[in-house]
Amino acid sequence: MTKALMINKNVEQGIIEFLKFLLESGKVKGVFTLKKINKDNAVAYSLISKSSELKDAVPFYPLMSVNAGKLLSRFTLKGATTEPVVAVVKPCELRAFIELVKREQGSLENLFIISSTCGGVYPLEMAVDGTVEKNLSKYWDAVKKGEILTDLRPVCKSCEEFKPYTADIAVDLIGKSDIDKKCMMFLNTKKGEELAKDMGGEFLDKEFDKGKLDKFHSKREAEKKKLFDELETKMNGMDGLIDIFGKCIGCHGCMRVCPICYCKLCEFESPDSEYKPSNYESELNKRGGLRVPPGTVYYQLGRLSHISISCVGCGACEDVCPVDIPVSMIFKKVGESVQKVFDYVPGKNVEEEIPLVTFEKEELAEVED
Amino acid sequence: MSETSLNSKGAVISAKPNTKEAIIGILEKAMDKGVFDAVLIPMRVPAGDSFVYVLIKDKSLLKDAVPLSPVMSVQGAHAVSSVTRLGKGNMKIAAVMRSCETRAAIELSKLSQINLENMILISIDCPGVLSMSDFIGDPKKGMKLFDDAAEKWDDKPMRPVCQICDKASMVAGDLHIGTLGAKKDTFFIISNSQKGNDVMDELDIALKDSIDSWQAKVKTLSEEKQKKRKNALKDLKSEIGGLDNLLDTFSQCINCHNCMSVCPICYCRLCYFDSDKVKHPSEDYLQRAESKGSIRFLPDTTLFQMGRMMHMSLSCVSCGACEDACPMSIPVAQIFSMIADETQGSFDYVSGRDPNESLPLIAYKEEELHEVEDSND
Repeated sequence: MTKALMINKNVEQGIIEFLKFLLESGKVKGVFTLKKINKDNAVAYSLISKSSELKDAVPFYPLMSVNAGKLLSRFTLKGATTEPVVAVVKPCELRAFIELVKREQGSLENLFIISSTCGGVYPLEMAVDGTVEKNLSKYWDAVKKGEILTDLRPVCKSCEEFKPYTADIAVDLIGKSDIDKKCMMFLNTKKGEELAKDMGGEFLDKEFDKGKLDKFHSKREAEKKKLFDELETKMNGMDGLIDIFGKCIGCHGCMRVCPICYCKLCEFESPDSEYKPSNYESELNKRGGLRVPPGTVYYQLGRLSHISISCVGCGACEDVCPVDIPVSMIFKKVGESVQKVFDYVPGKNVEEEIPLVTFEKEELAEVED
Repeated sequence: MSETSLNSKGAVISAKPNTKEAIIGILEKAMDKGVFDAVLIPMRVPAGDSFVYVLIKDKSLLKDAVPLSPVMSVQGAHAVSSVTRLGKGNMKIAAVMRSCETRAAIELSKLSQINLENMILISIDCPGVLSMSDFIGDPKKGMKLFDDAAEKWDDKPMRPVCQICDKASMVAGDLHIGTLGAKKDTFFIISNSQKGNDVMDELDIALKDSIDSWQAKVKTLSEEKQKKRKNALKDLKSEIGGLDNLLDTFSQCINCHNCMSVCPICYCRLCYFDSDKVKHPSEDYLQRAESKGSIRFLPDTTLFQMGRMMHMSLSCVSCGACEDACPMSIPVAQIFSMIADETQGSFDYVSGRDPNESLPLIAYKEEELHEVEDSND
């Protein structure tokens, strides 16, 4: 049985109490969590070192302004954090961070991770006009009941990886009707147990309610099938891709917010992707007309081939697309099919190597043949 | 050639069967005669839900071109830059763009990112564009909305920055198509350079007609816009002025840098704000958090905006591409446009007005040297 800690408080308050305890006891020197940062309720990840600042923390706010995996990578890019820090992140953000750690873009050392079962997040545009804030009680009702809200990010509605894999502490949210009164944390690792030691509350031998999570999983699975099927009909060969990506304006926002796209200089922004006037001339002689800048579908396919093995389906790309291309659903769909070939779940296990940097013996035989 | 030396005569052209087709007819004729080898012009994408720049050599493709597209999906100067950044090439290319795109192209040529030698820049009176989100959600409705508004020169449905644009008919390139002040079923062609004159010569179109009615109409309209602009920017200033308001305005920024990547002027391959310079060791972040109690992560969102502003505001053409691409609906184009008025104003500079006018920061006036001398006393 996993050890669990139950605090008799509303789940978000419970976690904030816990974070306060961690800062005040000196167990950590920093808390990384979502926080309201101004009077208009703008929510952003923050690094907090004074416990009084935690009053504005909203650890489970249903919004992903930036994928936290990318931010934790930035925080630990130049080396492991010098002081212990605890981070509260969503499961896909944690998985993204693990993928980045595998790529030497971050370090887990001295970092404690709290995650939760995740009900999904709203699209960013709903944060801009205050709709997310207005929808909060509706959101938490759905989480309690284990239901899927229709206005969430499409990738969230169809996400089956809503339970965190490697978190030190996992908070029970989905399908838990008493989160208004109780905060249940599962202490998954030694690090998690150490953190929780001396915290006021009830220590129990308890685990996630598997039946409840399985039920939620089937709902998400059904939603995914529906959304994938819809996409399937549109992604019909090259013509389909041109139809979908034709309106792409080449801003590369999808790449810039993608937690997996960590290259300092993207191939598609490098001199390799610039063409001489003579290239344009010969292409024009062949085709009569040429879209400029060129390479719209090529960019998408290139990025797809670069990152699909590690795509965690977080949806950040689609949210920033100024022309509403369903980028994240496409990447999730292709990503999952690539990952399936290698039996790989990105970010599930930090020890597991990325399929493309490792090999199995029989693969060599395949090449020989 | 600057605006003041604009030819006082132009050509009145018959707009039959309509302006769009008449313009395309002239482009076809020019290609037939070898006046230019290719045309860069907006065209609808196959799915019909946007418009992109297409470089056309096969003139049969021109029939689907749309000289005045309802959206600015890619800033035209970006398109010109992608074709000529590495050199002028052998083709003579006519680019049909909006005035702010032409001006951005001229700025980029000053920044050595565009070679204009074989380009003929053709601008067109611009009624503004719809925001991409307004168009893409329902392209059919968007098209009608734009067409109706463009016909009445009604700027209400257009992007905020277009609503306060006082340079919609600015002639900065080689040729300009003027639809304002023209008699029914006609439009003007106005030349602004020797290159423009030569093109018209080769097309046997004489520049001998009066353009007074166009000039008068443009003057009235831009004066109206200037008034509107002044008021709108005054309101904006009171809204975002001061560091606290500025921080609030940019608090929603998610660092996607879409504004920077679609900006025609931001041409750096690797932005300072994406470089190693802004990647710090954890202790730096922790120290900052320690001293303030809490820091937003990533920090320095407003610093990025102000840094970008400092880097490009002298060349900002207020095209609005940044605001259109912002996923958080920050009024970034309006803010940048407001600051650009002031920075450019202090040098008597108007971005893209004249290819021969030097960028303020690479030119100096003798009295500026005295100013520096004095400050050392």
